[in-house]
Amino acid sequence: MLKVTNLAVGYGGAPVLDSVDLDIATGEFTSLIGPSGSGKTSILRVVTGLLLPLRGTIELKVAARDVGFLFQDDALLPWRTVRQNVALGLRIRDVPPNTADDQSEHWLTLLGLKGQGDRYPGQLSGGQRKRVAIAQVLALEPRLLLMDEPFASLDAIVRTRITQELLEWVERKQLTVILVTHDLEEAISASDAVYVLNQGAPATVIGHHRIEIPRPRDVLEARQHATFGPLLRCLWKELSEESTSSYTNP
Amino acid sequence: MTNKNWASTLRRSLTLLSLLALWETGAQVGWLDPFYFPPPSQVWEVMFTLAASGELWPHLGATAVAASAGLVIGLGLGIGLGFAAALSPILAELLEPVMILLNAIPRVILAPLFVIWLGIGLASKLALATVLVSVLLFFSVYNGIKEVDRRLIERIRTLGGGRRTLIRELYLPSVTAWIMGNFKVAVGFAFTGAVVGEFVASSRGLGYLLQFAQSTYNAALTIALVVIIMAFVLLLFAIAERLERHLLSWRYV
Repeated sequence: MLKVTNLAVGYGGAPVLDSVDLDIATGEFTSLIGPSGSGKTSILRVVTGLLLPLRGTIELKVAARDVGFLFQDDALLPWRTVRQNVALGLRIRDVPPNTADDQSEHWLTLLGLKGQGDRYPGQLSGGQRKRVAIAQVLALEPRLLLMDEPFASLDAIVRTRITQELLEWVERKQLTVILVTHDLEEAISASDAVYVLNQGAPATVIGHHRIEIPRPRDVLEARQHATFGPLLRCLWKELSEESTSSYTNP
Repeated sequence: MTNKNWASTLRRSLTLLSLLALWETGAQVGWLDPFYFPPPSQVWEVMFTLAASGELWPHLGATAVAASAGLVIGLGLGIGLGFAAALSPILAELLEPVMILLNAIPRVILAPLFVIWLGIGLASKLALATVLVSVLLFFSVYNGIKEVDRRLIERIRTLGGGRRTLIRELYLPSVTAWIMGNFKVAVGFAFTGAVVGEFVASSRGLGYLLQFAQSTYNAALTIALVVIIMAFVLLLFAIAERLERHLLSWRYV
């Protein structure tokens, strides 16, 4: 689905990210983990075209319109109702207003927001706004879903619940997903593969791990799987060493 | 209105009435010279006479026309130029220094120049009101667009939206909030432009009446006209507030 080769990204000066290779198969759930500033978000921004790379190639097997991007922030339009926000992408794609509204309502119902369509984002809780943002992206039925720490601001209960609902949807629709996260447990419990990035100057990929927990998964039960603990310790060790070296060799 | 608002309105009204009563008493018992500080009753009498004789209305009409037309043209010009500059770096390079210069000077000093260029009729008042309003609105729109949340721009782009969608879904609603934030100031500026223009050279309008009152040392007429202008502007503020509540209804839910 996505092959990234020798990617380098910079913001004006020297590259902050270099020699990045990723190979993500169709229907695979992949997490990118690494310290803050390791360029995880930059990779997603390059894939969506929001950022131009310094060099490297991106081979994407779907059209740009089939890529959905779930941001860290809700980034909903405050002057549009919940229904209008969900319908935004549909209307951009020239779906007739009535159809777009019907589809919005369908997604709101699926995500437990039935009856909230006429409210404004400012009237919703953080968890509800996040669900609206998810509905907005999923309503476009993307084949590749990019998620940049989308649940970082939510409390543990809401976060687990939304992650589980999203995971069930992803498994059912066999979506390809790339998740950027700081949460190692979340990465292992949801993913088929994890890429580890370091905090070098420039940063790069220092580890690639397959996760063999069977699907369909429950994000809580996955943590009881025999491979979960050893992999968690392995990732923890890789990132700890990385973190220690970045402190001692600034 | 809540109990708290009622109490606040009552306190303000009582304070105003007390001050007016003090002023009236001071003028009646001779503490204040009525030539310089005519009592409120005399000011009211002048206002009533102006209104009842019908003398007020053509002047009020002339000022209202100049201010309203200046407001509308200034809004259109300021919004149009602000949008153009925000979306075109070349236009921004040309317009920004001119607007900064116009913003830095007290723009009413242009009044005599407009009279020389456009005469003592409506056009010179309209021009001054337009300049006052359009510079204000230019910066509202220009800064409003430049300070639009980058995350919302990226969100729309990743949903497949282009420039047209950005303008419709993001810039216009975002700028509306900025414009409405400055709308009351714009109303005040439009009136300032019209009245100052009339004050400098005119044969009608509240500014002309003010100039007449000043030249005849008629303090009662001067205060009456100030009160009339304030009342009219307050009425427009109330309309502006209703418009804001309608256009920015999402803020008040």
